Amino acid sequence: MPELRKDPVLGRWIIISKERGKRPTDFPVQHYQAANGFCPLCPGNESSTPPEVLAYREGTAADQPGWQVRVVPNKFPALIIEGELSKEGVGLYDRMNGIGAHEVIIESPNHDESFADIPPERMSLVFKAYRERILDLEKDSRFKYVMVFKNHGEAAGASLEHSHSQLIALPILPRMIVSELSGAKSYYKYKERCIFCDIVRQEMQLDERVVCQNEQFITIMPFAPRTPFEMWVLPKNHSSSFSMQNDEDLFSLAQIFSESLRRLDACIPNVPYNFVLHTVPLRAGGIKHYHYHFEIVPKLTSIAGFEWGSGFYINTMPPEEATVYLRESLDNRKSGEKDEENIAG
Amino acid sequence: MKKILLVDDEESIQIVYREEFEDAGYLVVSASNGEEGLRKFADEKPDIVILDIHMPGMNGVEVLRKMKKLDSSIPVILNSAFQEFKRDLGTWASDAYIVKSGDFKDLRKNVEELLGQEG
Repeated sequence: MPELRKDPVLGRWIIISKERGKRPTDFPVQHYQAANGFCPLCPGNESSTPPEVLAYREGTAADQPGWQVRVVPNKFPALIIEGELSKEGVGLYDRMNGIGAHEVIIESPNHDESFADIPPERMSLVFKAYRERILDLEKDSRFKYVMVFKNHGEAAGASLEHSHSQLIALPILPRMIVSELSGAKSYYKYKERCIFCDIVRQEMQLDERVVCQNEQFITIMPFAPRTPFEMWVLPKNHSSSFSMQNDEDLFSLAQIFSESLRRLDACIPNVPYNFVLHTVPLRAGGIKHYHYHFEIVPKLTSIAGFEWGSGFYINTMPPEEATVYLRESLDNRKSGEKDEENIAG
Repeated sequence: MKKILLVDDEESIQIVYREEFEDAGYLVVSASNGEEGLRKFADEKPDIVILDIHMPGMNGVEVLRKMKKLDSSIPVILNSAFQEFKRDLGTWASDAYIVKSGDFKDLRKNVEELLGQEG
């Protein structure tokens, strides 16, 4: 019997329609075809990108090789940084000019290194880059929100195999964030507690959907996930603003983020996914009712007419079952490697 | 005389571009698909390439990355009827991205600038 589940923050419904006996490897995964050719993101090709706005490097000059993480403006941006905001009404419709900042975060100097393979020490530099860019763009009063996201794999929208994420500073608050803030505020008004703190607390008690955790961070599968193997990474203690995290927090985040992605990759090798940072609007400071988090959404199902029309999602893998696979995944891989070693030895 | 390699699967585009650039004093060599374009890139040693993106077989972004791997010093202008390919970060390997239009001014200006012939 299928089951309907409601997301407690957004009020969004999903349908869990379990397919009996389905295993993670049964999901059709479009494997990434690594294109051979010149890569504009590789060290040595810095002249193919606009001049960097931030880089973590040791002793080399800007726009030269020797970096670990490099942030550059998008060469062909979706929104343009120059200009004043201009809003107008056309009858009942509103429109404005396309002001914004669109940047690309090059996460590794190594062309073939996936984000999951980046060790936490370097992955924390990627998170540090997100924080520094958000803090810098926050000074620009034209912008209200910075959306940080990653597309991994062609099916998830990545056009280049070299690991990178993107950020877009927007002059408006995205509808998804408005809905989340509003849902979280309603809950806070009623219960005087942050809904995400309550989710973390309940998930830790139940321990049915916890993928992994350390002292500061936890990865859970949400109660009402849109896709099989959707994961949320949250700080355990209340924290609404990603940009208020210190270096130590970001290293701890990287440890859990890295483990979560490695578990996912061990379960479904080369799975395409998107992740998005959900944090407070710019200049909002710390707020009591919201809790920053990352949502990692594997691209394993397609969005069709029913989903477009209803806003529902159909998920064929209950999160409790997916959690078991993810928890066992790295252990299985390790024991598989051991078996191979034993056979070889 | 500077040599332009034009890679575009549409014959009408090839005819119009050839006329336009030959009148302006360039030598134009054309190819109808990515594979032919890559062959001519190696054989003809053009000074600049004008490359369509949406083509049967290998698309223009793949061709661009292969050309730049062979010789990154030869400028390549992506020339497509569509803006949306700009979302593909592979296009960053190009020296310019010009959306096709009936007006050649922008394309000619970019060719001149990239060949250092402006003014």
